[in-house]
Amino acid sequence: MAGRETMKTTCRVVKPLMSTDFCEARRRAIGLYRAFYRYIPYIHKYFDIPKSESQIRSKIREQFYKNACVTDIRIIDILVMKGYMELQEIKYSWQQKGHVMANWKPTIEPRPTDFISKFLNGKD
Amino acid sequence: MLRQPLTRALALSSPSRVAPLAARRFADQVQAQPDKVEVFIDDKPVYVPPGTTVLQAAAEVGVEIPRFCYHERLAVAGNCRMCLVEVEKSPKPVAACAMPVMKGMRVKTNSDLTRKAREGVMEFLLVNHPLDCPICDQGGECDLQDQSMAFGSDRSRFTDIHFSGKRAVEDKDVGPLIKTIMTRCIHCTRCIRFASEVAGIDDLGTTGRGTDMQVGTYVEKMFLSELSGNVIDLCPVGALTSKPYSFAARPWETRRIDSVDVLDPLGSNIVVATRTNEVLRILPRTNEEINEEWLSDKSRFACDGLKRQRLVTPMVKDSRGNLTPVEWEDAIVAAARALRDCPSDKLLAVAGDLADAESLVALKDFVNRLGSENTCTEQFFPAEGSGTDLRSSYLLNTKIANVEGADFVLLIGTNVRFEAPLLNARIRKAFIHKETDVALIGPKVDLTYDYTHVGDSASLVKDLATGTSSNEILKRLESAKRPVVILGADQLKTEEGAALLAYTQELALRLQDNLQDKEWKVLNVLQRTASQVAALDIGYRPGVGAALAAGPRVVYLLGADSGIVTREALPKDAVVIYQGHHGDAGASIADIVLPGAAYTEKRATYVNAEGRAQQTLVAVTPPGLAREDWKIIRALSEVAGAGLPYDTLDEVRERLNQVSPALVAYGDVQPNNYFAQARALAKSLQKPVSGKLDVQLKQLEDYFMTDAISRASPTMAKCVQAVLKQKTAPY
Repeated sequence: MAGRETMKTTCRVVKPLMSTDFCEARRRAIGLYRAFYRYIPYIHKYFDIPKSESQIRSKIREQFYKNACVTDIRIIDILVMKGYMELQEIKYSWQQKGHVMANWKPTIEPRPTDFISKFLNGKD
Repeated sequence: MLRQPLTRALALSSPSRVAPLAARRFADQVQAQPDKVEVFIDDKPVYVPPGTTVLQAAAEVGVEIPRFCYHERLAVAGNCRMCLVEVEKSPKPVAACAMPVMKGMRVKTNSDLTRKAREGVMEFLLVNHPLDCPICDQGGECDLQDQSMAFGSDRSRFTDIHFSGKRAVEDKDVGPLIKTIMTRCIHCTRCIRFASEVAGIDDLGTTGRGTDMQVGTYVEKMFLSELSGNVIDLCPVGALTSKPYSFAARPWETRRIDSVDVLDPLGSNIVVATRTNEVLRILPRTNEEINEEWLSDKSRFACDGLKRQRLVTPMVKDSRGNLTPVEWEDAIVAAARALRDCPSDKLLAVAGDLADAESLVALKDFVNRLGSENTCTEQFFPAEGSGTDLRSSYLLNTKIANVEGADFVLLIGTNVRFEAPLLNARIRKAFIHKETDVALIGPKVDLTYDYTHVGDSASLVKDLATGTSSNEILKRLESAKRPVVILGADQLKTEEGAALLAYTQELALRLQDNLQDKEWKVLNVLQRTASQVAALDIGYRPGVGAALAAGPRVVYLLGADSGIVTREALPKDAVVIYQGHHGDAGASIADIVLPGAAYTEKRATYVNAEGRAQQTLVAVTPPGLAREDWKIIRALSEVAGAGLPYDTLDEVRERLNQVSPALVAYGDVQPNNYFAQARALAKSLQKPVSGKLDVQLKQLEDYFMTDAISRASPTMAKCVQAVLKQKTAPY
């Protein structure tokens, strides 16, 4: 009895979300990347943001690489879905200029790291 | 000669009133103990020496008997009756605080009889005590409140059917520090005993009898003592409360931070009570080796000076010669430019009274990196002989707690009462309880106890040192088993200072060589300020005289407020940079002002007159743009192109450890040595002396305002006014 229980918990087979193996999940992710990539000229055209196409491209690339460490295919699927939602929001102008710019975090000042700037800012 | 009030002489001697043995470290202190007697507290056996009181025996087994009048450090009065306990085979309950134990005594601290007795006493006390707890400043820390909850009756029989009112007593005026609401007094007489035993001011007493009994000064008179604030802590009810703190806060609202006092050289341990980023009051923290549980008035009440006259923003002189507020960047750049452009031999750094060890070491490292060796302290100390090379020549070597084991104290040119009030309290304690005799060379001052006034000429020290004196003091000194010689550091700033120090060393070490107790140290130099010992340990040169005469181009004042560096003494084009927390003498002559933190606002090391390193902790944040002192120097050093190699407090302390491990051995005091070498080096300095010894603080009014913080304190100013007014009063 106990043996079967252990088997159950250790080798539990999870129900796939969309993809059945890693290759498929990767394909989906690359599909999303392509979709975003193709839309870059329109982002640049329709949103009045002080960023060039190449900057937008590198930002998208950065956001994808942020999740490069994810290996669980279910999480990859979810992330891909959220990515498509994000793209849709941008396409339909549900996101405005500020939302798009938020990816660059323009208002956040980096914390001072060296002694003298910590001293002048009065932060420890 | 009867040295104590009659009540004290007749009362039981309380062995616990002398400091515990752990605090007094010298050989053959422990005498043969007489046989202990066995007593039973609530059937728990305990062995105590004969003469112990029941209350103390109960404390041994961890049973605390409620009390109002009994206090460990005061004589036993036995008049509140709260400590009544039942003793088997005794017809009536006995007062535990005054009853010595007897063999086989069985004490019941929780029997019906005991509880009934306590309840009765409490009822009588409350009949004559107003029900004004909601407006009483003692509320929340009141012994009567707590004990009536724990031991009082659960219902009241007090019905004033005739509406005649409770007992009411007129309030007294005993000065600007203590507020008296005498209706609340329960006649425990702790304040009276404190005044006559510890403070040595026999002004408080009782008048009248029964319901008409009143505690007071009889005629209206200020309580003229430098230790007066302690009666506020002693008072078990709200009869004596702090005037500056009145109606300010409740104890449960405040945050309490342990810290160290810096307004006198002893480094008393304190607790800083804060709320809403304000220091509300300062209370003593028990440290048997320094301040016991007392605190001097300046340390206690000068805390309102921390809110006045503060430097809150960096300032630079503009083209019209007015100090104008600027950003830190501008001030640092201006200061760094001045420092960098200055030829290294024309640069001078002066450390003041309240500088902490971290900023001292940072400033010295910085100045050294700029190529200068001119780091000085305001206080002087002779550089001849061994100078400040040997630690034993500038410290209080006997140690504060050991002073009460002395049998003869010779004070040379110091008014200990105002220079270090708690050291004076120790000497007074020895004088009263140990038959210690005291002699003074210097001006005749009131030390609160009798002493032999030898004279005020410096040549007396020479005669004593060379053994040529015909004065009987010499014989007394030589026959003493544990003599103590205390030299006031103020005497060293005169031209004869070096010779005086040399003679004092000679005298002390000659006495020390003949002692049986080889551990006992005789030589003491009492510094005047909290920073001096740390500065000398770090390697500051004492005194600014020579450096000022060389005509410095840039002067860096680190809290130097004594007025020793003046504009007149400096060349016209000299740039003065002042770093400190108060707009005092130093800031007024400055071209660039860098606001620092006061001792309650930084974690910093201070070394007291014994050489004991202690640290203050952050109780409140520095006001405005003020910054911690060592950080200012660290930032300045980077901009000036001589960056210091430490970024955090731990790294600074590591540097302190490199300079001297004693500076970071917190709470510990290292034994000092090389007395003989210092004496040998001082031999050549024994030149004839002819001057008269004088002290700076002679009267009580001189005591209150001596440094930047206490000069800014309105309470201290009121004290000076009140003392001067009292001087003109007929009583």
